[in-house]
Amino acid sequence: MATQPGEVEAALSRRYDAGFVTDIETHSLPLGLDEGTIRALSALKEEPEWMTEWRLKAYRHWLTMRQPDWAHVKLAPIDFQAISYYAAPKKKPKSLDEVDPELLKTYDKLGVPLHERAKLAGVAVDAVFDSVSVATTAQGQLAKAGVIFCSMSEAIRTHGDLVRQYLGSVVPQGDNFFAALNSAVFSDGSFVFIPKGVRCPMELSTYFRINAGHTGQFERTLIIAEEDAVVSYLEGCTAPMRDENQLHAAVVELVALARANIKYSTVQNWYPGDENGKGGIYNFVTKRGECRGDDSRITWTQVETGSAITWKYPSCVLRGDRSVGEFHSVALTNHYQQADTGTKMVHIGRDTKSKIVSKGISAGRSQNSYRGLVKVEKGAVNARNHTRCDSILIGKRCGSHTFPYMEVKNPTAIVEHEATTSKISDDQLFYCRSRGIGEEDAVSMIVDGFCKQVFRELPMEFAVEAKKLLEVSLEGAIG
Amino acid sequence: MLKIDNLHARVAGKEILKGLSLETRAGEVHAIMGPNGAGKSTLGNVLAGRPGYEVTAGTVTFDGKDLLEMEPEARAAAGVFLAFQYPVEIPGVNNTYFLRAALNAQRKARGDTELDSMQFLKLVRGKVKEMGMTPELLNRAVNEGFSGGEKKRNEVFQMALLEPRLAILDETDSGLDIDALKQVAEGVNGLRSPERSFLVITHYQRLLDYIVPDFVHVLADGKIVESGDAQLARDLEAHGYAWVRERTPTEAHA
Amino acid sequence: MNAALTPFVESMRVAAETRLPGSGLAWLDAARNAALQAFVQRGLPDTHNELWKYTTLRALSQRSFSVGNANAADLTVPQTLLPQIAADAARVVLVNGVFRTDLSILDKLPTGVELQPLSRVLRERPEPLRFLLGVHGDEDDGFTLLNRALAADGLILRVAAGAKVAAPLHIVHVGSPGESETAWHLRSLIELGEGSSLDIVEHHVGEAGIGHLANLVCEVNLRDRARLGWTVVQTAGSGTSLLRRSDCRLGEDAVLDFHALELGGKLARHELRVDLAGARSRFRSRGAFVLHDRQHADTEVLVTHRGRDTVSDSLWRGVADGRARGVAHGRILVLPGADGADGGFYNKNLLLSPDAEIDTRPALEIYADEVKANHGATVGQLDENVLFYLCSRGIPRELARRMLVRAFCAVTLDGVEPALLREYCESLLSAQLPETSA
Repeated sequence: MATQPGEVEAALSRRYDAGFVTDIETHSLPLGLDEGTIRALSALKEEPEWMTEWRLKAYRHWLTMRQPDWAHVKLAPIDFQAISYYAAPKKKPKSLDEVDPELLKTYDKLGVPLHERAKLAGVAVDAVFDSVSVATTAQGQLAKAGVIFCSMSEAIRTHGDLVRQYLGSVVPQGDNFFAALNSAVFSDGSFVFIPKGVRCPMELSTYFRINAGHTGQFERTLIIAEEDAVVSYLEGCTAPMRDENQLHAAVVELVALARANIKYSTVQNWYPGDENGKGGIYNFVTKRGECRGDDSRITWTQVETGSAITWKYPSCVLRGDRSVGEFHSVALTNHYQQADTGTKMVHIGRDTKSKIVSKGISAGRSQNSYRGLVKVEKGAVNARNHTRCDSILIGKRCGSHTFPYMEVKNPTAIVEHEATTSKISDDQLFYCRSRGIGEEDAVSMIVDGFCKQVFRELPMEFAVEAKKLLEVSLEGAIG
Repeated sequence: MLKIDNLHARVAGKEILKGLSLETRAGEVHAIMGPNGAGKSTLGNVLAGRPGYEVTAGTVTFDGKDLLEMEPEARAAAGVFLAFQYPVEIPGVNNTYFLRAALNAQRKARGDTELDSMQFLKLVRGKVKEMGMTPELLNRAVNEGFSGGEKKRNEVFQMALLEPRLAILDETDSGLDIDALKQVAEGVNGLRSPERSFLVITHYQRLLDYIVPDFVHVLADGKIVESGDAQLARDLEAHGYAWVRERTPTEAHA
Repeated sequence: MNAALTPFVESMRVAAETRLPGSGLAWLDAARNAALQAFVQRGLPDTHNELWKYTTLRALSQRSFSVGNANAADLTVPQTLLPQIAADAARVVLVNGVFRTDLSILDKLPTGVELQPLSRVLRERPEPLRFLLGVHGDEDDGFTLLNRALAADGLILRVAAGAKVAAPLHIVHVGSPGESETAWHLRSLIELGEGSSLDIVEHHVGEAGIGHLANLVCEVNLRDRARLGWTVVQTAGSGTSLLRRSDCRLGEDAVLDFHALELGGKLARHELRVDLAGARSRFRSRGAFVLHDRQHADTEVLVTHRGRDTVSDSLWRGVADGRARGVAHGRILVLPGADGADGGFYNKNLLLSPDAEIDTRPALEIYADEVKANHGATVGQLDENVLFYLCSRGIPRELARRMLVRAFCAVTLDGVEPALLREYCESLLSAQLPETSA
């Protein structure tokens, strides 16, 4: 695909253009965390008693846990008492028409259409601003198809039984340190329910925005696809430029029943910090899908360009026979960014298949690690996995690492992993330049080609967005 | 020697052979020709007992014994040899070791005494010379790093050593240049004898200029639609496979 | 925090009360003491340690071992355990960790090679070993500490600069069944002078019987242009726990050519660390394990590319049958400035039984951009196409299977010399392969 003249230039001059702050009145909980904070949070959200108790149970468990240190990242200790666990715009809209114009402007600026354009684009959007969902579009149209798409807060109030049945069933409260914290303090997020046999009529997407300072964002997303249901879900993230490090600790749970198909795509562009490594989001996320039914399929696709530190492993538990898990990832780090990301594929059912494609690009002084586990349990007869990890380094001061783990307990399984690491090809660069292409453009072009295989998995508009993001993120990587 | 009667076979759930019948006697060379997808290679694989080829009807007897009931190695011991269209590379398995294991397993199955390594080396070196192979072949791994032509010649060499009674050549000419083709054909012709029968599967008549068959059969859509002598192959070359179809419209389109 | 005083730790503490060679030397006593204290604090490595992730020592920690190999000096060793691997090889034999002059053949020791048991050096001239025994390493684990505290013997092997030694040196570790479960700790040093060349065959043999624990730590220093060929043939007794750690440092243009055939022991772990410090130094490794019953083997190949234009090339194969568990970890670390590094680690495994397990973990850690680093790992079964090809030539399926498993492993024997040794390895491999397997 030829790039329009001017498009690259525009992209290159763009830097982190999601870095503005929206001036809006915010209601926040004071800094700090204890049982009182959790009760206050739960009360603010008008939650039922069981939810409050669920949170408290998670909190008590969290208190007994230690922050993990095995990831290939370096970070200053996090002071969990210096964070506000709830921040929300003061005005609560009843419908999309009542949404604060400042907010609408914000999403407009970010290129996220909440109004007519959303309808035109055929995408339903849930917009999460700091701790709350501010708008969910196209709900009417979706309801006709039987699809529930709303904020998690709303779902807890209106679809309590469903939430209660599935929440924590894929990522238990005590799964890991950050998942436990999230379970205690999660504020909002998206809830999706596709009933039996329904093919969701449009792409669903959630747009996460951190705005307020000194806050953490702890969203919780739950997607359930019943038998034969099909859904494609996209998620995007941005935050203003601030000197402090802000914590984002989300949990995403996917449940695919028999023959269901869930496609989950992420373009993660949290503020990465400046070129000296100051500020940026700590993105510590637990994402896991369970192929609970036979012949189900879950596909994770991610383009990770933002955050100061990323620590996430979107995973698939392949419980149903013949279920399929896929993971396609591009992770790009520049300046002082650190990413430790990959996936886990746990084969439990018979004839389960998984495929992993990971592309890592490190530039500047960044550290970029792939970490992946392929586990074949004893009963996973004929399990198949193929993993391909390629990494390129741009510059002499960055690091690129690959840590795959393969645990195989079934003699009919075939598990294959291959990986390469090299610098961006001199021959390719020279070839481009000898045809008159500037070095930075040539790098973008080569990196884009390197990532093609993953971009192909993204919905069209996201693919364009992802390509632009890479260009911007690579800025200053040469020389 | 070989009697195929109304053979039906499926691969991956798809019926490929649809009632094929054929009989060969000792000393005869039968050519099986036909367009792509007619079932030529399926026939070879079914006769050798390749897993995944499912016989759904019909019988195949070899010297009166039910061939289809036998394991692949038992068929080999009985004297059936398939020269593979795509010979398999086996890194780490030395050719000499492989050939001796094969020959001795077959001899044992037939109740003959096994050859010790000295006897075997003498035999295999003689064959290498006879077939004009390079002696270093014996020190290499089975087919590893061989060119296409070398692999095909190695199949013929194995045939010479194992002395089968029925040799099936599955597109042994494919991918060969004219010199390699001649070498392969010479090898095969050298092995023709009154006790041995050949089934030469090929897409082109070219090979049959060098290995002159006693009978030519045209395979189309899973069954034999025409049989004749060597002249049939030449006619086919001149007119193409469509010509057969026109001559036998009802059968070919059945 | 003190690690729980498990029977294992307790037995090691008791062991430390015996007098070791060199006891009384202030610096050595101090170093041994410090190491023992650190060990008692830390205990055995647990599975939180990434390098021990798949090797649990829970069972071992509940056992206790006696020290003192009072009768090791007199134990008879069957000749079958001491095969000849080269026509004129010099031979060193240690029985249950004790150097045995009577079984060794040292009159054939070539010129330029100096070989002494550690115990003798400690008694006669310990001072030059202070650099080796008087310090602590940054990356000591429980076993290394234990070794520092309790090593009573080992080999100090030096090759003079320029000496090219043709015949291999055969080092045989014999585990002889005694009356009680015994532990021994050996500390060795292999130093090759500039431009020298040597081949060693490290051979672990033993009879089935009660389980010993052998804890071997070895430091290898290859000066510029030195070349070491190192072949490990491990057929330790079926009860033996064999823990090995080797730290190798290579100077400029130095070459380490390593082979391993791991067949024996109950628990066999080797942590092979290779520091390619000198420019253009090269490391090549080929290894295989074939396991059955409840055997557990763990190979950790940790390569650091430090110098420019360094090369590492590793190829490992594993076969696990029965209830065995095979573990492989190959890490390639390329440090900043190690431009031109070319690293590869390839590991293929066959899982032959529903109760066996393979855990493999190749890793790349790259901090330089002018590099080529690749790895690959697979776990699977034999190729059905290849099996059919063999069967179609008349080879019975079981034999075909055996041939292929053998061939699968035999590729790692490429380059094993002399021919006699290679044939010996091949025969061991054949003997080890399962007769029947699903």
